[in-house]
Amino acid sequence: MTTEDGWLQGQQLLELLAVISSYPDEESAVHGAVERAAQALEAEVAAVVMGTSVVASVGFPAGQLPEDDLVAVTTLRRDRLTVPGVGECPVTTASWGGTHPGSLVLARWDAAFTVQEQSLVRGMARLLELTLTMLRTLERSERQAAENAELLKSLRQRQRLVEHLFDIQRAISRRRPLAQILDMITGAAQDLLGDEVVGLWLRESPEGDDAKLVAHVGLRTGVARRRPTIPLAEAGAAGQAMLTDDVVVLHGYTETSTLIAELTDGRLRASMAAPVHDSGAVSGSLMVGSHQQTRGYSASDVQTLRAFAEHVSLALTDANTVDRMYQAFHDSLTGLASRGLFLEKLAKRLGAAEHDGKRVALLFLDLDRFKAVNDSLGHAAGDDLLTITAGRLKAQLRATDVAARFGGDEFAVLLYGVATTADAVRVAERILRTLGEPMPVAGRHLRVSASIGIALSTPGMPDPADLMRRADVAMYQAKRNGRGRLEVFTDEMLLSFPTSD
Amino acid sequence: MIEPGRRWMGVARSTDGASRAAAAQAARAALTGVGPKLLIVWFAISHDPTEVLAGVRDAVPDVPLIGCSTHGEIAPGGPSDGTVVVTAIGGPGIEVTTAVAEAVSGRQREAGAEIAQCALRARADLPHRVLLMLTDGRIRDQEAILRGIYGVVGASVPLIGGAAGDGWQMEHTLVIGDDRVLVDAVVGVTIASVSPVAVAVGHGWRKTGDPMIVTGAGNGRVYTLDDRPAMDVYLDRLGAPREAYVDRDAFRDFALSRPLGVQRRSGAEARNMATEIDIEGRSIGCGTAIDHGGLAWAMTGDVDSILAATDAVCENVLAGLGGREPVGLLAFSCSALRAVLGDEGITWENERIAKWARNTPFSGFYTYGEIARVRGIDGFHNQTLAVLAIS
Repeated sequence: MTTEDGWLQGQQLLELLAVISSYPDEESAVHGAVERAAQALEAEVAAVVMGTSVVASVGFPAGQLPEDDLVAVTTLRRDRLTVPGVGECPVTTASWGGTHPGSLVLARWDAAFTVQEQSLVRGMARLLELTLTMLRTLERSERQAAENAELLKSLRQRQRLVEHLFDIQRAISRRRPLAQILDMITGAAQDLLGDEVVGLWLRESPEGDDAKLVAHVGLRTGVARRRPTIPLAEAGAAGQAMLTDDVVVLHGYTETSTLIAELTDGRLRASMAAPVHDSGAVSGSLMVGSHQQTRGYSASDVQTLRAFAEHVSLALTDANTVDRMYQAFHDSLTGLASRGLFLEKLAKRLGAAEHDGKRVALLFLDLDRFKAVNDSLGHAAGDDLLTITAGRLKAQLRATDVAARFGGDEFAVLLYGVATTADAVRVAERILRTLGEPMPVAGRHLRVSASIGIALSTPGMPDPADLMRRADVAMYQAKRNGRGRLEVFTDEMLLSFPTSD
Repeated sequence: MIEPGRRWMGVARSTDGASRAAAAQAARAALTGVGPKLLIVWFAISHDPTEVLAGVRDAVPDVPLIGCSTHGEIAPGGPSDGTVVVTAIGGPGIEVTTAVAEAVSGRQREAGAEIAQCALRARADLPHRVLLMLTDGRIRDQEAILRGIYGVVGASVPLIGGAAGDGWQMEHTLVIGDDRVLVDAVVGVTIASVSPVAVAVGHGWRKTGDPMIVTGAGNGRVYTLDDRPAMDVYLDRLGAPREAYVDRDAFRDFALSRPLGVQRRSGAEARNMATEIDIEGRSIGCGTAIDHGGLAWAMTGDVDSILAATDAVCENVLAGLGGREPVGLLAFSCSALRAVLGDEGITWENERIAKWARNTPFSGFYTYGEIARVRGIDGFHNQTLAVLAIS
């Protein structure tokens, strides 16, 4: 998984929305959506099924539409589909309810659909549902030409929704901070649905019975600021939506918890909530609430809320993907780059240095007597020592430099655009000095020293392994020469260093 | 019962300046086997197309024929300009059916569905098939033609081909089908065989810098990237010289070697920004839809990266034959690549293709768009090499 995969999620929904919202009628919107979904997921076939019939499809030769098989996929009775000329393909499907329920089905030859792709397909299904509802509203309104006001209203409503969803998707694809995106969504839901209150609740843990308030509009700020948690069973529509994985509408809030009463000043009269998902599992709900006893929620309101909830899901799944990527590439204890990421960056910087006529310096650093600390004060103290070391190391570097932990007490630093050996030595001396300051570990002030080996790239040396070996040799030389010092690689060192082969 | 294993392909080129004689000469020489089933003619716009057609028919009166004008012809011995290249495919176990669609502009999908009819008429007992198509390079939104075909044949038939070129004049592109010289037309032929056929496509461009979001697009054009005029953002990103901002030719020369990358699941699709230039409106376009909301990247490449892609595409297409030896390759390489490769570079490209063809003949041309649908539903490409292998 690359960063681009994450970007793709937001981008694909945005493209689909742009495409299907431009169609004038239901039939062309459905056909457009089917093609766009297939294109986005590089699927050979895609179809929309309503009831027991396929209303649009792409990828099947004329006269060879396997209608029964497609319907069986939507009811989860099949998880593979035979595509003529291609063979057995994995499938994915997403359904929507409401007055005209349907399902989107996709099949792809080579690879099963990932969790992120399934979430994308759900988002696409939701957008399609929303578009179809609006088109039907328009058609109805057009028939009732006398009701010009309603036509105008629904057109405006549609335009505003499209604008909001554009903004949200753009924020997701640009990787704006999650909190900011969630605030955008709650704000947009309030603008469009017009209710006094909007709240986004997320489960504390995947199986947990409590939910935490993470974003809101119109709730009592003093209480909301504390990010309160509430048992699902007491969370009204928001809790029910999570428990049933469906949209829930409630009227009257006489039985709810004191927290809800506190958040809403006891004025909540009607509410509706839709579940949100993270990587496919129910992880929270988006609720809107009204102070009006007479507030009713139309099918169009339900779909609008679902669309926003789906965007919360998209943002959460995306943020999670970024987290997972970060974890895969970074050392979990210190947050520094992992060995793999460091090597990748080193290779790139060496290539760039060659191109820009610059040099790269590689520093290998090993803490002296780390094992003794670990053995005498325990692993927790050892971990503290490593974390403090990482922090001090990073403080000495520029944004273009990279620090990594290779495991144990071994660290590596990449300095980009170094002019001479003296530049690298200056940085290494600063690092030795700062690491030499007392470190507060296990209630003591430990004094730790380190050994540093330095190697500089030379023009025409694109292989990171060469530079790594040189820095490694220099570091062992430093240790041999008495610890707490640095050595710069020279060719002579190789003579006294045992080769690995 | 059809006897497998004796299919053949022959390619011949004539440098004769007299169109009819050149075409006749090449057609005769291309007949290297018994039972020809299909003739394909690629020819430079310096030739009279009617005379080319007549010349082929002088030599071979009754074998199905398709062809088109080029931006350079590809054949063994190196690429050429100003020549006629004829390819013949035949032997037992291979059959063809053809289709022509005319007056395509404005009804691309419908035209695609008409072309697809040749696949429906193909012999059902021949298990391997491919639809080879040549289009007039001036038709816009060619992806829609492919969608029209896909709507009929679905994923069951791979597509291959190219859009006719004319040395960037954008005036003389044409195709040959139904024994007529046609403009605003598409010709298609379904090749059905007892033995595997394979299609591969690829490019040697790499993304550079951060992605841009398409914030304004429509009618095959991109108006804004990141909310700024698309042409300026594109040129800024690539550090273009001052002239490229104001001069049409300077923009074209700059853009030819710097396609816009449109993000897809399996990588970036390269789009050629050099053909529909809009200095006044500051928009960019390539005749194929780029949707609002898409992610786009500036892309760069060089001779090495493009030739590496040539190798990769040829290797992939041969792998697609499932261990069978090829009898020949058809190669569709983008006209814009010539700007990057130069005369020397296209010779190297030709040598690479020859190496992979393993002593079997190959032919093709420099196109205004490459057609290759292998995976998914999309199949119209820019700045790529698309290759068909027949076994």
